[in-house]
Amino acid sequence: MTQITYIQHGGAATTLDVPDGWSLMQAATANGVDGILGECGGSCACATCHCYLDERLMALLPPPSEAERDMLDNVAAPRQPNSRLACQIKASAAMQGGLVTLPATQE
Amino acid sequence: MFSFDPYSPAIDAEPFAAYKTLRDEYPCFWSPEANMWVLSRYADIVTAGQDWQTYSSASGNLMTELPNRAGATLGTTDPPRHDRLRALVQSAFMKRNLESLSEPIRDIARQCAQELAGQAQFDFKDFSSRFTVKVLMAALGLPTGDEALVDESVVREKAVLMVQSDPVTRAKGPEHLAAYNWMQDYASQVIALRRAAPRNDLISNFAMAEIDGDRLDEREVLLTTTTLIMAGVESLGGFMMMLALNLADHPESRQAVVAQPERLPDAIEESLRFNTSAQRFRRRLMRDVTLHGQTMKAGDFVCLAYGSGNRDERQYPNPDLYDIARKPRGHLGFGGGVHACLGTAIARLSVKIAFDEFHKVVPQYRRVHDQLAWMPSSTFRSPLVLDLAAL
Repeated sequence: MTQITYIQHGGAATTLDVPDGWSLMQAATANGVDGILGECGGSCACATCHCYLDERLMALLPPPSEAERDMLDNVAAPRQPNSRLACQIKASAAMQGGLVTLPATQE
Repeated sequence: MFSFDPYSPAIDAEPFAAYKTLRDEYPCFWSPEANMWVLSRYADIVTAGQDWQTYSSASGNLMTELPNRAGATLGTTDPPRHDRLRALVQSAFMKRNLESLSEPIRDIARQCAQELAGQAQFDFKDFSSRFTVKVLMAALGLPTGDEALVDESVVREKAVLMVQSDPVTRAKGPEHLAAYNWMQDYASQVIALRRAAPRNDLISNFAMAEIDGDRLDEREVLLTTTTLIMAGVESLGGFMMMLALNLADHPESRQAVVAQPERLPDAIEESLRFNTSAQRFRRRLMRDVTLHGQTMKAGDFVCLAYGSGNRDERQYPNPDLYDIARKPRGHLGFGGGVHACLGTAIARLSVKIAFDEFHKVVPQYRRVHDQLAWMPSSTFRSPLVLDLAAL
């Protein structure tokens, strides 16, 4: 389990114990975190699990794949350098304490 | 002694009691009849769906796999090949690219619903199948009208047959293999037609696509197209049958969505959770995995029982209650992980429009028969016939 904190657009924070190997999208939707949809089920196909990563996660994680970069073109809220799709990021111990900020809108 | 045979007609008809025993007592269950493991808890299925390196799809994903298909379709390849293939077809199925289909879909729904006007009793399948095949033909750009290669009812009939198994042997029988071969021939004719005169449609684009400068393998083009037609027609039609059944069985929910069609998406999501037509898919282990005290060996097949995960009380309180106010997040009605359904957006859009138009013609209805005949399939679950009486 890795603790990840999701911060919704309004500022509400939820900290989840994410099982290793689960995507940040799957953990958020399974636990009812608002502000993230994941309409396609986690196949990098809908851009509705857009999130912004904190600096430490940005430094830690490998850059997005080509497919994820293409899909990031479709996000509804402003795309930033730290924009990622939460379905493409799998929890691991090194991410303990990471902060994920959710955008104002996903569609 | 508990047994669970996903190939038995009893499980086709009613899997939910057995699922509960599996979840509570045998969360990692070896089924000797099926010769595979069965995972039934929500969390375990999500984990397996995410971990494609361990739970591979490359040996096939259907509970009863069709010959020569594994390795050549989206559902039966693993990343990175899968991701490249999927990228080629994905954009056609994205929500924002479907908006142009919304009006044509509504016209189709209106036309199909109108045929039910004045009928005291009808088989809902007449509506769902007509609607589904027309929508898929429009969405995939299959030849229709003067260009049509065959009557659309034949496409529907073959798509439905190829996902079924023989009710007795539970293997693919000659008629199912013949339907599969027919569909490949049909797909191959469509591909040839689109290559000769490409249009701006999914199959034209896919048939001409390249990955790293190489044309796709011909088997990939053919079997992916075949699978898109099969999955589109069968899954969409099967799910519509389940939603109609749920709304017939839960009059208060039906009245709510008839009065407020904007609540249809809630009924759709709850039905995807409650009794999704995509009940079970299969993976194969690439390494040994120990789970709940059992060791599954590399090479073993594993059934992911999505329909059971969706009824897991560890995830959804009071899971056997059909409640359109539930708004179930993260359900497994479309599977999950890299292989989650390609058509989620078009499925949600089409089903919403179909029921909106259906309810304008038939707002009140009930089921005619208590007992239903269920499709002989270990992957998909829906009734073969759903007679409804207009009230």
